[in-house]
Amino acid sequence: MKKLKKTGALLIAALMLLALSSCGKGADTTVTLTDMMGHEVTLDKPAERIVALSAADCEIVYALGAGDLLVGRGEWCDYPAEVFDVPSVESGGNTNVEQILLLKPDVLVMSSMAQTEEQVKQLEDAGVAVVVSDAKDIAGVYTSIELLGKLLGKDAEAAKIISDMKEGFAGIEANKLDGTKSVYFEVSPLEWGLWTAGKNTFMDEIATMMGLENCFGDLDGWAEISEEQVLARNPDYIVTITMYFGEGPTPVEEILSRPGWENVTAVRNQAILNLQNNELSRPAPRLADGAKMLYDFVIENAQALTPAA
Amino acid sequence: MKRIGEQFDGWIYAVFALVTLCVFFACVCLGSVPIPLRDTVQVVHDAVRGVPSGAALSLARSVVVPIRLPRVLCVALVGASLSLAGAAMQGLLKNPLADGSTLGVSSGASLGAVLAIAFGITFPRLPFAGTMVMAILFALLSLLIILSLSYRLDGSLSTSTIILIGVIFSMFASSVMSIVITFASDRLRSITFWTMGSLQGSSYRNAAILAATLAVSGTVLLLHARELNAFAIGDDNARQIGVNVRRVRLTVLVMVSCLVGVCVSIGGTIGFVGLVTPHMVRLVVGPNHKRLLPASLFSGAVFLMLADLAARTLFSPRELPLGVVTSMVGAAMFVAIYYRSRWR
Repeated sequence: MKKLKKTGALLIAALMLLALSSCGKGADTTVTLTDMMGHEVTLDKPAERIVALSAADCEIVYALGAGDLLVGRGEWCDYPAEVFDVPSVESGGNTNVEQILLLKPDVLVMSSMAQTEEQVKQLEDAGVAVVVSDAKDIAGVYTSIELLGKLLGKDAEAAKIISDMKEGFAGIEANKLDGTKSVYFEVSPLEWGLWTAGKNTFMDEIATMMGLENCFGDLDGWAEISEEQVLARNPDYIVTITMYFGEGPTPVEEILSRPGWENVTAVRNQAILNLQNNELSRPAPRLADGAKMLYDFVIENAQALTPAA
Repeated sequence: MKRIGEQFDGWIYAVFALVTLCVFFACVCLGSVPIPLRDTVQVVHDAVRGVPSGAALSLARSVVVPIRLPRVLCVALVGASLSLAGAAMQGLLKNPLADGSTLGVSSGASLGAVLAIAFGITFPRLPFAGTMVMAILFALLSLLIILSLSYRLDGSLSTSTIILIGVIFSMFASSVMSIVITFASDRLRSITFWTMGSLQGSSYRNAAILAATLAVSGTVLLLHARELNAFAIGDDNARQIGVNVRRVRLTVLVMVSCLVGVCVSIGGTIGFVGLVTPHMVRLVVGPNHKRLLPASLFSGAVFLMLADLAARTLFSPRELPLGVVTSMVGAAMFVAIYYRSRWR
């Protein structure tokens, strides 16, 4: 028994030495970062196998040019198309630790909403680092991109994406509208009850940035609203993010045909934009594209209307 | 055989109809966007005569005529249908807790509608008929399953057995719905939203469908009031006084399924309406179905219109799902009724 203990102690000492020496050798590749929940995470080297649960983080991984390092994705990830070739795991409330461990990742990236302490502990005990990326505003998206860039050893790429986004936004902000026109964001169509985006959403932040007034800026976050209120607030533009599955009227046609809406300025001018691919609702690099699409749409419409006025 | 109370039928009808009309009027006048009473009356008057309203009234016109009026109509008709269906089922099954939502009929109807959406079951030129027919079929099917299972367990159809089976069936139906939703990937979004239900965007066409269903099924149910009275005493009693038990039971079940199925396919699951109103009404007009059924019809409309008014105005401009309001009132009532029936 005593002998066994002694051997064990020796073995541990030897292992520790080995670990120390390997640490010493790879010191220059060590990655240390603080995630968006304030946890410090240290890795010996940039991650080579990563699982990302949120759709936004998957997009960022691809934007960084690191799509080949993605070994697993959350079930709702849908952009870019290559992401569908990556094995899908359950996410959100159904996050399944076993599924994730089976993919043998170095790192799991998830949002704060989905995780429980037990799950994080199980993952960390199995040697998987857990990093929280959870952007609530555009500044947060920059942090997410920076974080993932560091994690994957793609700092330069991350800096490039961020500067491109900033440039895009700056271009819009420099020529911003006068704040007299209003926009109504429709998140869920009438058939299922109208939902809109109030303040503290990406849509509201981007509308404000380009000098458009959000009709429902007095509400906080996502909200179900009365149909009558849209009519009373009479938006100049409508942005709907309803998906179209190729049957029945398109989301734009459906809004144009709603009884009682014919006097809404946006409907009268047919100023309705359908953004189907989460350009304005997902904390990912494409937010800048979505902002540009909305801005161009507003400018085009304004120009089309000027001669008539 | 005639009871004294029955002579007051005409009078009772008149009072209930008057209250319903008043509430209907109030619900059309009140809403998330405040519109003066005079303007509301003016635009409705204009719309009925088919003349355009003045420019100053254009907002009032487009809020009241195409949006608020059809919605209140639909809400009133759904309330009346669900309440009448609840009252009829409670009488037929001699069970105070019977209702579309407690028996799992609404879940069954939802399942039918979800299947129709997922597998694209439609009838040419009738875009909504697919979900509606499937909802009615599944409502009837679930009623038959629940009742035959309960009969097998205990022939007397006691309250607890039937409620237990109903709850189990509800769970089964929603798990099947989850499976369908998992596999119907591209239609997923619309199905998930569908199960929540909403009476926003109700149209006059929806109101017409509801009214037609209520006119047919409601008349048939009202004409069976005498038989339901006999059932309330006991199946044997009913048989002895010459009621064709089998035929009447099937007729009532089919009519109830039609009412619940159409309501679910238009407004989604709105729980507890059929439970709450017949019980409140019973306290006022007594257990005789000749008065209970019409009274439930009117009170159901009043109850749901008031619940919808609360949903529309309490947190304006936000709107609460109607089912949330009714379930809140209904759950409290359910507990009260269950305890009372236990301690008696």
